Amino acid sequence: MNAATPLQSDTVLLPERIGELTGLAEFGLAGELLATFIAAFIVGNLMLAMTGVAGPWAKRKITAAFTDRIAVNHLGPGGILIIVADSVRLLSKENIIPENADRPAYDLAPIVIAGSALLGFAVIPMGNGVHLADPEVGLVYVFAVAGIASIGLMMAGYASGNKYSMLGGLRAVAQNIAYEIPLVVTGMSVVLFAGSLRMSEIVAAQSEPLITIAGVAIPAWYALVNPFAFVLFLIANFAEVGRNPFDMPEAPAELIAGYQTEYSSVYFVLVYLGEFLHIFLGGAIITTIFLGGPAGPVLPEIVWFIIKIWAVFLLTQWLRSAIPRVRIDQLIEIGWKGLLVLSFANLFLTAAIVGVIQ
Amino acid sequence: MSTGIEQTPADGETLTEDELEALIGDRAIARDDHMNAPGFVVNPDEVQSVLSDLKERAGYDHLSSVTAQEYEDRYESIYHLKKYADASDEVSVVVPTASDDPVSESAEPVFRTADWHEREAYDLVGIEYADHPDLRRILLPETWQGHPLSKGYDQEKPQVVTLSEHANPLESDHRESGGESDTMFLNIGPHHPATHGVLHVETVLDGETVVDVEPDIGYLHRCEEQMCQQGTYRHQIMPYPDRWDYVSSGLLNEWSYARAIEDLADIEVPEYAQVIRTMGAELCRIASHMLALGTFALDVYGEFTAIFQYTFRDREVVQDILEDLTGQRMMFNYFRVGGVAWDLPEPREEFFEKTRDFLDELPAKVAEYNDMVTSNEIFQTRCIDTGVLEPEVAKDYGCTGPVARGSGVDYDLRRDDPYGYYENLDWDVVTRDGCDNYARVLTRMEEVEESAKIIQQCLDLLEDWPEDDREVQANVPRTLKPDADAETYRAVEAAKGELGIYIRSDGTDKPGRFKIRSPCFSNLQALGEMAEGEYIPDLVASLGSLDIVLGEVDR
Repeated sequence: MNAATPLQSDTVLLPERIGELTGLAEFGLAGELLATFIAAFIVGNLMLAMTGVAGPWAKRKITAAFTDRIAVNHLGPGGILIIVADSVRLLSKENIIPENADRPAYDLAPIVIAGSALLGFAVIPMGNGVHLADPEVGLVYVFAVAGIASIGLMMAGYASGNKYSMLGGLRAVAQNIAYEIPLVVTGMSVVLFAGSLRMSEIVAAQSEPLITIAGVAIPAWYALVNPFAFVLFLIANFAEVGRNPFDMPEAPAELIAGYQTEYSSVYFVLVYLGEFLHIFLGGAIITTIFLGGPAGPVLPEIVWFIIKIWAVFLLTQWLRSAIPRVRIDQLIEIGWKGLLVLSFANLFLTAAIVGVIQ
Repeated sequence: MSTGIEQTPADGETLTEDELEALIGDRAIARDDHMNAPGFVVNPDEVQSVLSDLKERAGYDHLSSVTAQEYEDRYESIYHLKKYADASDEVSVVVPTASDDPVSESAEPVFRTADWHEREAYDLVGIEYADHPDLRRILLPETWQGHPLSKGYDQEKPQVVTLSEHANPLESDHRESGGESDTMFLNIGPHHPATHGVLHVETVLDGETVVDVEPDIGYLHRCEEQMCQQGTYRHQIMPYPDRWDYVSSGLLNEWSYARAIEDLADIEVPEYAQVIRTMGAELCRIASHMLALGTFALDVYGEFTAIFQYTFRDREVVQDILEDLTGQRMMFNYFRVGGVAWDLPEPREEFFEKTRDFLDELPAKVAEYNDMVTSNEIFQTRCIDTGVLEPEVAKDYGCTGPVARGSGVDYDLRRDDPYGYYENLDWDVVTRDGCDNYARVLTRMEEVEESAKIIQQCLDLLEDWPEDDREVQANVPRTLKPDADAETYRAVEAAKGELGIYIRSDGTDKPGRFKIRSPCFSNLQALGEMAEGEYIPDLVASLGSLDIVLGEVDR
């Protein structure tokens, strides 16, 4: 490991640090478990807090800025207290469950959707030691758990007993299959550079200087090393998280709200949170494997990490305001005929180049 | 006697009235001329042969409207025919049927558009059409008792229909498509984000492909025709047209009634008022087309996007100008029989400046839309070659307005059947031959620019108009009583197409029959042709590109 990357080379993860700080480490396995639980609680809440800000407030403000409006401005400075008002409103609504709903599946779907995204954050290095686990197969793990969401979408679509939901669920599956392969294959081209699936090593590999201009070292972020893969990954990621121009599973103008049509109250909140968590998870993966992870000058690493994933979030909102939605058949065509071919081309080219250099 | 009967006339050649009489021959049992057109009375069992002769041999290829009414001694269906090539060339076919057994032959095999028009006649008046493929109620619920516009209808009788007697929209879940694959029945609407109001589209899907589309309308039926029949010509009818196409097309709608009644009562409108009318109408057209573009973008983009908001921002400016002019934002009620309510707002310079500012900024805005919307590649892949409406099909369904012009049908009443001040102004009719959703959007956007040209010229005229000659209203008697049994059908080019009014006077100060020919009603019929075989998103986009307003469809 390179000495220039102090955080990642020292493999102290958040649970261990909490164990040491609180003295829980002395209690053996039970203490370790408790420390891990506390660490996971902190990280989970950090992400949930971000979606809490993003969903009811930031998204409205951003969209309003794109569309010449003001959006929420009555409660608190800049309308920020709408978050509180909206939480109360959404949670106090009646949870209407359709007569034809397939009960256990209908109830589980929101939890699967929101939970799968939260699981993904376990392996994301967020800087300043906020990193829950660093398994050898980190990248594969994160793709795998993010992929569970499509089961949740399918469950929601099927179990709601509504045809719009059904169509939305089917679209979600078709779309995720079509786009997960290019996503993973493009992700693999990064692994070829880094030589590891371990998140901390992928981040560490990006901290080396690419070129030095006037004394300022530009780090070898893979977005700069292989911009082609970066763009491919971004596009596949928008399809994966179901945002414009690929928001087929919801497609408000066609399918009302797709798989989430029949969800209300708390369930709706979970589904909605799950969506935002997925956008942030997508942002976190992009940050980690293309944007040098939490690295950045001056500010603390965790701040850089948050800035980067919010930048990706902002990009999704920008697209949402500016780009038309493609049709479902066009979407599948772009996925199988376009992105898949390009991502394999990218993989082989990268492999050849990496082979020549080494 | 031989000319015109044996051979089809060449394009553009028109038959004289004598030749028409010869063409119809002894199938015409009498003449019943209307003020706008010669009328031939034919037997109820010869409707198809007469109409098809008129269509094939005399070139009357546009069945604009079907009016049904009941007299003391008979029912009557009137087929108002026009030519797409020459809108001022009209002929009416009047079909009387007996009071006790009102059965008449359907015109549907000749003109597809007669399907809905005859269903409406059956629904509201009670005439039955033999050979009609699907004679059901169209505006009223299927359980309705009686026909509201017929003589014997008891308005006091309550219409109590229990829910269980209604067709259950969830029941017919499964329908045979005829093919091998399994289909799914889907109710799109009446509450759906993309139906632009309360439209219910019964859709049969094969996967995501649309196999069959059946629009179910009438949710917004407000008895507009009957209300107009109960109002006096002079003042009480004019407020109603604002409520048909209520999205900022008010003045265009008012003009349709104004034109019909001015024709019927032989009123000459002062030129100055005509210029103001022309300007106001074109402002409305811009506002309406802006909204059409915005909502279409909403349908294609799928999210609440910038385009929708931008078009609303720009429409708001027009809306402000219209408010200055009429005192109202939506329900203008600005036209009067014989003119307009009042002159331009004082100070006039301010009004001119505001309107000119808007016109000056418009080209930049249109360029912005072209940048953001029409030149967007995803938008193009979504809109080009989807929702295709061939010109012949468009004519068969009686489509008019931007929908027809987007299919290359060069038909615009402002030019073809001139009224107002349009004749004296310099502007062009926009047509495109794309026949698809994209062509319809571009047609509307170009029409906005043409409207701006018209407004510009009107402003110049109004500014230079001599102060002592600004007459805004003709001298119209306090009570209007047109001659008994005078009938006319007059149409104007509204934002959505040909908006026509048929009025029959019964000698009193209220119309004996008031019939509205709504462009959206005819255009919506073509939805099936455009959407079948395509995907759901294209169905939604096609519906958006038709630019219907349910207030006008259902009346």
